[in-house]
Amino acid sequence: MEKENKPKILIIDDEKGLRLGTKRLLELEGYFVDTAENGTEGIALGTKSEYDLALIDLKMPDKDGIEVLTEISKVYPNTVCFITTAYASYETAIESTKIGAFSYIPKPFLPEELILQLKKGYDKRLLLIETEKWKREREMRLLEVAFEKTRLNTIINSISDGLLVINKRGEAVLYNPSVLKYLQLQTIQLEVYVVDKLHPEIAQLVSKYLDAEKFINASYSVQIELQFTEKIFIEVTSSPVPHPDGTLAGVVLVIKNITELKKIELLKSQFVSMVSHELKAPIAAVYGYLKLLNDNSIQVSEEQKSNFIDRSQNRLDSLLKLVNDLLDISRMETKTIRREIKEIDLQSVVKSIVELFQLEIKNKEIEVIAHYKSCSSINADIDEITRLFTNLISNAIKYNRKNGRINIELSQSGNYNLIEIKDTGIGMKPAEIKKLFHEFFRAKNELTQNICGTGLGLSIVKRIVDSYAGKIEVESEYNVGSVFKVYLPYK
Amino acid sequence: MEKKKILYVDDDPDQVEQNKLLLESKGYFVLTAFSGKEGWEVYKQNKPDAVVIDLIMEEHDSGFILSYKIKKESYSKKIPVFIVTSAAYLTGFKFGSSTEEEKEWIKCDAILNKPVVLDELVQKLDEFWALHQA
Repeated sequence: MEKENKPKILIIDDEKGLRLGTKRLLELEGYFVDTAENGTEGIALGTKSEYDLALIDLKMPDKDGIEVLTEISKVYPNTVCFITTAYASYETAIESTKIGAFSYIPKPFLPEELILQLKKGYDKRLLLIETEKWKREREMRLLEVAFEKTRLNTIINSISDGLLVINKRGEAVLYNPSVLKYLQLQTIQLEVYVVDKLHPEIAQLVSKYLDAEKFINASYSVQIELQFTEKIFIEVTSSPVPHPDGTLAGVVLVIKNITELKKIELLKSQFVSMVSHELKAPIAAVYGYLKLLNDNSIQVSEEQKSNFIDRSQNRLDSLLKLVNDLLDISRMETKTIRREIKEIDLQSVVKSIVELFQLEIKNKEIEVIAHYKSCSSINADIDEITRLFTNLISNAIKYNRKNGRINIELSQSGNYNLIEIKDTGIGMKPAEIKKLFHEFFRAKNELTQNICGTGLGLSIVKRIVDSYAGKIEVESEYNVGSVFKVYLPYK
Repeated sequence: MEKKKILYVDDDPDQVEQNKLLLESKGYFVLTAFSGKEGWEVYKQNKPDAVVIDLIMEEHDSGFILSYKIKKESYSKKIPVFIVTSAAYLTGFKFGSSTEEEKEWIKCDAILNKPVVLDELVQKLDEFWALHQA
């Protein structure tokens, strides 16, 4: 027997010689032995810790061996108990095994006989332990399975995508509440044919699997437009559910609401078509002038010729700016992660931009008045902030009148740095202000006719302001001037 | 014979200038306007012999609106109103003025591609006038 895992045995006998003799014998045989000299002590030891085996004398002065056995079995039913007695009788043998003794050993016993019996008892003990272990494991499994099942149900019921599982007879076997909404059904009855209640395009997807002669190992998707209170788009994906033997068990349908995605797609294609239109216009204009210059059948004066060349140059200039602005926008959309955020002094940024425009300011004889009430700094990407104020200040110059004025004011308003840029320019009509930040919108009227622009400058401004959780406000009066107020949060 | 008056409406001043010159070289008198709104004013004051309108001006459908307004007038029944656009090509959105259904909502006599091919425009104008004077 293994040393580390010695069988533990408890000997309960009031006869000292037998007790000690047996102990010595069993220890030599490799048992771990405890002894008790009466019934009370035996119960105390046998119920305090679990023994593999117990050898209980039937007749003891204080307690009956049967009682001791009963008490121990109550606490440790897997302790294999033997009853020993010198007053061997058939009845006691029967009785002791009836109440749970493994065997009955008449005294005096031969060592070999005892050892043989104990060995059998120990085998029985191992068997009992093993059985109990399996039983416990099985119970655990069952608990786990039950738990898994409710958990799975809770998860399926909570997902916002719709889920419907159909068996190969076309009957519904599992669904979640979300699917009802997308299928426009009040309820789905389980184990009832459901394919005819589905949207024709979805039914077609399902039939593809159900009608196929061979198992189709592929998923299919279809996008469907539905009319609810408003239009929504759903994407239905079907996948086969195989049996372990590879035949078709059923079909699982997952239904997603892709309305938002569709909206973005539409915005994107609108943007692309607007961009193409804006790119095409200057090219067409320059192309037209070149054709005129090249056409001998049309009378064009020298003055007109040089005018055509100037205008072509202007259109190409603005085309180049447009392409740069577009690149900026696309950079902005991918840049967020590559921003270099540093502490920036707003005052010095604005000052250096004004410096940069000295020539234009001088040409138009504009007076620039700057007030820096506070000189707070923000944490931002210097390129973006420079771009933001360059666009605003360049607009204030471009749309200003000759001898006009620009007021720049830096102050604080609540949790924001407030930068006001006020011009005495052509201003805007209320309807124009609304569309001001839209891509490619340019106020078109008699006053703006000769000013070039890409229609992207303010849209870029807005994107930058938004990305720093700031806001921008505009006040304007037609033919009087405009004020742009930029609020950027403190660092 | 008096020169025919053509109203050319486009928000791109370069397009207006070029087409004005081209049409003048073919012997027409050209009136111009730079928006749908202005086009309507010039039309009312001058009663031209033909109108050519760019589709996308202050709004994406300014050209449709102007041609619709003009074609509702009884005077305009005997003059051609054409829309020029590059939108059909750009958006992949195809429209014309040939089917009955299109005639129902697009009130113009022809839709021409941009850039304008002068000879095509002149030919279409002449065809229309010939048809409506006979």
